[in-house]
Amino acid sequence: MASVEKRLSDLLGARRVLTAPDALLAWECDGFTVHKARPRAVVLPESTAEVQAVVRVLHGERVPFVPRGAGTCLSGGPTAGPDAVVIDLARMKQVLRVDAEDLFAVVQPGVVNVELTAAVRHLGLHYAPDPSSQTVCTIGGNLAENSGGPHCFKYGMTQDHVLDAVVVLPDGEIARLGDAGGPRPPGVLDLLGVFCGSEGTFGIATEITVRLCRDQQAVRTLLASFASMADACRAVSAIVHKGLVPAALEILDRATIQAVEASVYRAGYPSDAAAVLLVELDGPPDVIAEEADEVRAAFAAHGALRSEEATDAAERKRLWKGRKGAFGAMGRLSTDLYVLDGVVPRSALERALDGIAAIGARHGVTITNVFHAGDGNLHPNIPFDGRDAAETARVVAAGREILQLCVDLGGSISGEHGVGAEKLDHFGMMYGAADRDVMARVRAAFDPHGRCNPGKALPSRGACAEPAKWPQMVARVLDAERPQ
Amino acid sequence: MSAFAPRSAAELADWLAARPGRVRLVGSGSRAARVGAPAADVHEVRLAGIATIDRLDAADQTCSVDCGLPRAELDAALQPHGLELPCPGGGTIGGLFAADPLGAAAHGGQSPRSLLLGVEGLLADGTAFRSGARVVKSVAGFDVHKLLVGSEGRLYAATRLHLRLKPRPRAEAWFCRDGLSDADALAAFARLRAEPVGPAAVQLRRDRHGCALVGRIAGRAAFVRGQLAQHGLAEAACAWTDHLAADAPGEVVAGLARFTAVAGLCAAVPAAATLLWHGGGRFEAALPDAAASDALLAAAAALGVHARVVATTHPARRDRGSPIDPGATRLAAALRTALDPHGIFV
Ligand SMILES: Cc1cc2nc3c(=O)[nH]c(=O)nc-3n(C[C@H](O)[C@H](O)[C@H](O)COP(=O)(O)OP(=O)(O)OC[C@H]3O[C@@H](n4cnc5c(N)ncnc54)[C@H](O)[C@@H]3O)c2cc1C
Repeated sequence: MASVEKRLSDLLGARRVLTAPDALLAWECDGFTVHKARPRAVVLPESTAEVQAVVRVLHGERVPFVPRGAGTCLSGGPTAGPDAVVIDLARMKQVLRVDAEDLFAVVQPGVVNVELTAAVRHLGLHYAPDPSSQTVCTIGGNLAENSGGPHCFKYGMTQDHVLDAVVVLPDGEIARLGDAGGPRPPGVLDLLGVFCGSEGTFGIATEITVRLCRDQQAVRTLLASFASMADACRAVSAIVHKGLVPAALEILDRATIQAVEASVYRAGYPSDAAAVLLVELDGPPDVIAEEADEVRAAFAAHGALRSEEATDAAERKRLWKGRKGAFGAMGRLSTDLYVLDGVVPRSALERALDGIAAIGARHGVTITNVFHAGDGNLHPNIPFDGRDAAETARVVAAGREILQLCVDLGGSISGEHGVGAEKLDHFGMMYGAADRDVMARVRAAFDPHGRCNPGKALPSRGACAEPAKWPQMVARVLDAERPQ
Repeated sequence: MSAFAPRSAAELADWLAARPGRVRLVGSGSRAARVGAPAADVHEVRLAGIATIDRLDAADQTCSVDCGLPRAELDAALQPHGLELPCPGGGTIGGLFAADPLGAAAHGGQSPRSLLLGVEGLLADGTAFRSGARVVKSVAGFDVHKLLVGSEGRLYAATRLHLRLKPRPRAEAWFCRDGLSDADALAAFARLRAEPVGPAAVQLRRDRHGCALVGRIAGRAAFVRGQLAQHGLAEAACAWTDHLAADAPGEVVAGLARFTAVAGLCAAVPAAATLLWHGGGRFEAALPDAAASDALLAAAAALGVHARVVATTHPARRDRGSPIDPGATRLAAALRTALDPHGIFV
């Protein structure tokens, strides 16, 4: 009987089936670099039919597989173990249809987020969810992660913008989960709703229909600097309390500002500020003119040191450059960066940030913060040297405490980056064994044999009650990689 | 048929754990008009007694409410805080989310699925579980709560729902233009849809008197005034209708249609019948007889529009209409078996 690799090569051609250890290096991790493993093989299909054929072979041979988009995930979601085959969807990058009247587009999963907007810009349309990784990440990855982004405060997450998906199920059968008219035709379960955010464990989306939004007539982007993080958070609360729904409400702390200003993402943020608050308003010009006045009043009422407003598109780009480049700028500070992703009720932001600072001090690690303040979605960043196992363990311990703090404040262990492999140990902070078991049943309905991205998103039975084993896992990974 | 009216989720859990047999979950009972009375051996569980507002965090714009809470009570509680649940529909909150009969009130608007942050639920054997969170954003765990939406009480009993709220607009105005031809109504609709900020709610109702366009413009006062003036609309009392009358004779066909398909639907509905299309895409047509329904179903198929019979006096015709994708049907059956293996919830 031919080997699996041979059968895959017969299907796709040898050039689209990678097996040489060196060739696999690029697939050994995602943006969560602590967790590395080289897959058994990588395949590069170009159509739904090819994905289906590949999955049928793997299903028949009982080989686990892992879908992958651009690999920008920050929780280890697309990282495959040595027994699994990566199904890389990056070559499926066609925009198949744009319907400007009914406001939707049908795309292959490998279409890069920002390229979809580029394809419809001439029609005065855009695709709203905008993860900060949007120049690289794919619509398929966004769907699997239910990704958010700065503008999701007003426009919602990926889930609110996906209407339909053609999915190759883990046994190679195909299912259509929605309708171009809307995500759930009457009389049908919300299969798309539960697929979205399933982190590549329910099947492979090969054709995705998304809602397009009309461009707004005008946009205003304001930036205020504050002497304390508390003032910045209170200004956010005041803006929301007024009933305003800005397109974005983003905060960067002092350390992030300094990292940004020292990097190629330099945006001219005041480097003496303890925090900057970026507010974007969009809508009819006279409406957002009134809103801008109210935002400025909130800045002033909460002691803003300075505020400025972008006067043209270039200025707006500059103000956003620092925010969008914040992770990149932080990444320059050390060999590794642990990007956390917790959520707290917006009214608890101040308490959360105080707690995070205390945790950092206790563990002797530097923690910087850049976050979607409107949603209470924190991204504490911890720069570290991944070659230092002791430091890595301290970073991991601090991360765990931060997520526990988020849960204790009534929040979540993930706002947009997913559980992946990273947060399996943290799952029990939010959910008990019964909750996990119900989720496992749902997963089994999609993938009864557990071969689609195994070991991700949901811990194994009993793990909810176990203490963290992550630092040990990290140490093992590091040991395995150390030259003998 | 026997009825049970629990006063708390714990009481319901105990009752389910005792394996009483097949169960129909009932909120305010509005679905009964469409689906008919349950079989004699089915217990009706009336959830209207589990009805408190557990938590209303005005600053965070979220709340947690029991399944039996009437929508009207929630609306009244939100009003003083300047908040609203911005999706159409009435009855109990649990029933509204489990049936999701209306979707969103306008293209791109909020629907129950986008407002549901999490649930506390009971499986058919009484096992309690949670899914989702109380905060506006969480991707931890699979979204079992999203499966509530449209499940019509046949997967699990959601006893508590965590909801996202939105600020009430500073100003709003309802409008109603009636006596229009199909073409004029659709043209007026198209102009409203072309606005970067469209109406917060909009529907087209076509009956023997002609077409009526009903909607709500929301925002700042000057914006609302400006939109009314620009589109030649006069402020009017709210004439929004969630559903066609449930006791209409003949059959009701419901479906999901894109805007460009609505003209085709209008053409396929006899002048004496009624068509109600919500801007979010859902529609209902009350048709005089099976032949008229079949004509509409055929037109819908040609337009690529999902439609099916949802109310009829001929049980064999119920659910006739657009075929549901075989893969989706298989998944739905697998999910039902996974969550309710003995088919308790009917
Ligand atoms: C600098 C930086 C900034 C970021 N900012 C944000 C942000 O603002 N908001 C946010 O939400 N995230 C953000 N992320 C995280 C990440 O970009 C998102 O999760 C993104 O959606 C992943 O897309 P991807 O194409 O890279 O998918 P991958 O990383 O390749 O995969 C992600 C998951 O999706 C699965 N998957 C991929 N494609 C498919 C498919 N077609 N069908 C089924 N499953 C599939 C994979 O198995 C994996 O589990 C950021 C990451 C970086 C590095």
